[in-house]
Amino acid sequence: MSVSNLLENWSKFRHTHPVGDKGHPDWEAYPSEIKWAMSIDLDACTGCNACSVACYAENNLPVVGKEKYSHGQAMHWMRIERYWDEDKREVPNQGAQFLPMLCQQCEAAPCETVCPVGATNHTEDGLNSQIYNRCIGSRYCSANCPYKVRYFNWYDYPTTENVWPAPMEQQLNPDLTVRGKGVMEKCTFCKQRTYTARNNAKTEGRKIHDGDVQTACQQACPTNAISFGNLFDPESRVAKQWEQQQVELIKEEQEKDVKPGNNLRGYRIFEELRPYPSVMYLERVRESDV
Amino acid sequence: MIENGFNRRDFLKVLGWGGTAVALSGCGNTSIENGKETVVSYVEPTDYQIPSIGVYYNSTCAQCDAGCNIEGRVREGRVLKLEGNPASSINRGKMCGLGQAGVQAHYNPDRVTEPLLRAGTTTENITWEKALATINDKLNGLKGEEIAFLTGGVSGHVKVLLKNYLDVLGSKNHYAYEAVSPAVVRASNKKAYGVEMPRLHLDKAKVIVSFGADFLGAWVSPVHFSQQYAQFRKGNRPEGRGVLVQIESKMTLTGANADRWIPIRPGTEGILAMGIINALGVGVPADVAAAARDYTTDRVSKDTGVSAEQILGLTELLKARSPSLVLAGSAAEGYSHGSQNAAAIALLNQVLGNVGKTMDAPANVQFAQLTPTTGNSLALNDLNDVMAMGKLKVLFSYGVNPVYTAPDCLKLKDNLNKVPFKVALAHYLDETAMEADLVLPLDSALEDWGSSVPEYMPEPQLSIQQPLMENLYPNTRGVGDILLALLKQRHADQYKAYEDFYSYLRGAFVQNKAALGGAGADDDAFWNETLGKAMVKLPGTAGSLSGKPTVAGLSLPATKASEGAYPLRLIPSVSPSQRDGRHANLSWLQESPDPLTTVVWDSWVEIHPKTAAKLGIVEGDIVEVTSLSGSIKSQAYLFPGIHPDAVSMPLGYGHEAMGRYAKGTGANVFKILDPLFDKETGELAINETNVRISKTGKRVVIVKEEGPNGGSQLGRPKIAVKVSSDKVDLSKEV
Repeated sequence: MSVSNLLENWSKFRHTHPVGDKGHPDWEAYPSEIKWAMSIDLDACTGCNACSVACYAENNLPVVGKEKYSHGQAMHWMRIERYWDEDKREVPNQGAQFLPMLCQQCEAAPCETVCPVGATNHTEDGLNSQIYNRCIGSRYCSANCPYKVRYFNWYDYPTTENVWPAPMEQQLNPDLTVRGKGVMEKCTFCKQRTYTARNNAKTEGRKIHDGDVQTACQQACPTNAISFGNLFDPESRVAKQWEQQQVELIKEEQEKDVKPGNNLRGYRIFEELRPYPSVMYLERVRESDV
Repeated sequence: MIENGFNRRDFLKVLGWGGTAVALSGCGNTSIENGKETVVSYVEPTDYQIPSIGVYYNSTCAQCDAGCNIEGRVREGRVLKLEGNPASSINRGKMCGLGQAGVQAHYNPDRVTEPLLRAGTTTENITWEKALATINDKLNGLKGEEIAFLTGGVSGHVKVLLKNYLDVLGSKNHYAYEAVSPAVVRASNKKAYGVEMPRLHLDKAKVIVSFGADFLGAWVSPVHFSQQYAQFRKGNRPEGRGVLVQIESKMTLTGANADRWIPIRPGTEGILAMGIINALGVGVPADVAAAARDYTTDRVSKDTGVSAEQILGLTELLKARSPSLVLAGSAAEGYSHGSQNAAAIALLNQVLGNVGKTMDAPANVQFAQLTPTTGNSLALNDLNDVMAMGKLKVLFSYGVNPVYTAPDCLKLKDNLNKVPFKVALAHYLDETAMEADLVLPLDSALEDWGSSVPEYMPEPQLSIQQPLMENLYPNTRGVGDILLALLKQRHADQYKAYEDFYSYLRGAFVQNKAALGGAGADDDAFWNETLGKAMVKLPGTAGSLSGKPTVAGLSLPATKASEGAYPLRLIPSVSPSQRDGRHANLSWLQESPDPLTTVVWDSWVEIHPKTAAKLGIVEGDIVEVTSLSGSIKSQAYLFPGIHPDAVSMPLGYGHEAMGRYAKGTGANVFKILDPLFDKETGELAINETNVRISKTGKRVVIVKEEGPNGGSQLGRPKIAVKVSSDKVDLSKEV
């Protein structure tokens, strides 16, 4: 594929792009009935890391070891960030703040526009996909990602010592690949699971129901902090949450945030950068009178 | 394809190159005939084995004693992933990271795969026949008291067989040892409530005051409690959103999730509990009030380092919001007066009237022979004394690694060498297996049969562990099979009906099917259904708790001023993934950052920034931590969530053997613990060791998840956002 071909046929390679808000006439023309989205309740999240381990198990993530980890080459698609209050108190007497960070599957993804070969792609169900065999490893996408959730294969991990020493390779999930050297990878919202669920629904001649598909992180989460589903399905839990929290997908500033005094806790990270992320977080709540 | 003349049988044959066979043989086959004996024909496919379709089998997690019910995803004969069983009342479809790493324990490259016999400095692989015959030889002519079994907590039919075997040998020496266990709290609960492990209802409490019980991380049944916690935090329950107060000297994962985290001077937890009782005033029984009279707010504040304002505030909160739940955890019990701490905390819980509301009795389960024998650290002391006297001739160990977990001061390794013949039933060549004369390689938990009754369960149940795939190695065996073989050596006639442990287990279930809910059912139907669920309800009768507070024998020592040479208190921490170090060879867990410090692949020394400034220590300094009993070195991590008088290091690191990921990673804190014990129960007082910290002059860059700015959000307004509870309305949320 030549660059000129790519540029001429850009719309073909970049399937879809944000087309407006609900109510906007183009919204109805959104090419899919599915828009995968997530919400993460930080009040329920305890920071236990179960989601992260589940992701390693599901998505064939390599364990890179201490040295490569120190170089920032860990491959955790789902990571828990831990923050402290910045109120200069001697002890953190309201605990820590945990934030599960994963690809936000932006609708106007900064990573997509910079890929020189169209390997970062927007799918019709609203994901930023990474086409491994198109990727040439320029890493522009990673540089442009405000969330730092893209992970580059600096090494050929399957042949690297102690990553999958025999017989550990038998644990690998055959539903998706093991990525080779020089390729960028990232959270796919468990593409293999959504794909299977869509196929099953199609076989049965019905639409996707809420609960047909769980991501690995959601499935493991001991406190049910993560919900995942189709934002276009008004019956799905995630759509109800977004609706209730008055968070709209194609907005860089939510109306509720302009009005003072709302008591809703839904927000998106770096919303002001206009990436239109598909992950909504719910603020952590701490008791006011103790 | 058939129309095209493609031979259908050949096609299926090719398809049949699936599963274990292919994975083991790799791509080295040059002709289709090569390795044909391992071809699985799908002309007559095994039940539920369809290429490319994952099938789920239920089983039970063996990674910790919580005993969560799991389902394993199996495809082409390989188990790929473990997930929670949604039908379980324990974990309800959820699973922690430690549990999920069970697949890595199964596929671990450093498993022991052949029986090993050590003679002098040489080690040879032997057959099972020879291994079992050797054991028989060594046992011949021995008296019962010369033989002992050292195990972790055991339950179910392995426990039954173990007991039968010990009976046959005429031995009463079953030592159940857990390096990290709530043994002191169990004893104190037994005294206060009449049961060792009451059932908790976190989800019914308005306030939880936890004295160092890390119920979200590593305490008793974390996945179960996490679910209760999630309910507790919801705004749309009748009690409203719950408030969590955590009181401990080193912040645990639970502490990190508290509304108020209160750092307390190490060891003074009981004093604070008494101080709160005293401050409660009304509603306290006269004898309790009298016992608490001396614990005035001023004195308690001075002893504990918790401000008077905070003590009174906490008291008001407990008065205003009832029911509450007060818990004593490992941070409060690890002292030489740990039992007293736990008793005072239980007293507070009783005085608040929580018994019967947020805490009730577990059901009394029939079949006492199956209920768990829980481990404690006293068992190891007792065994150690017996070994030191040279009384033991044969020692079996299973599910424990005492050479790693025993403090150096116990001289366990020396005493172990006084035992002429040591048999280790082991998954890895860990420190204990390295000392053994005979190593018996065990099946992984995903290859083995078993049954278990968890210590903490919402409803009485008997869980089944069943193989999720064929054995990876031909010469590993299940612990049940080993015990059965040993029993057959002595009483072949009694056990001849059971070809293997599977048939024994099946026999045991089928024989008792009426009590297990299968009355009148066909044997096969009952067994298949039971296996499908991998758990059955056990009959039980409702138990009851004693709610009557008793102050008899309660005495809390005044706090010791820190001693000159060793001015800091060492608090070994139990991390949710490393626990006592038995899973240190699982790479996912090594690479999974510690939730609080975010450190990976190493241990660390947590020091409060104030203390570090005094000592001139900065992050990454390699410091020497010295106690009366020894010293270890590790990297310093400046951590705000720790009392300035204390330092903390995680347990589970610093293995000298076990495998590629465990060996040489970090330092072993168990080694430098002083021989100080809880006065009532004899448990090792794990938080009682005093240390000094000195710089070695070396410095490293700590490998951790957090960036160079530590936990700072650099003034960004909306990354991890926290909001005060009066600013949001949780009551109507989806």
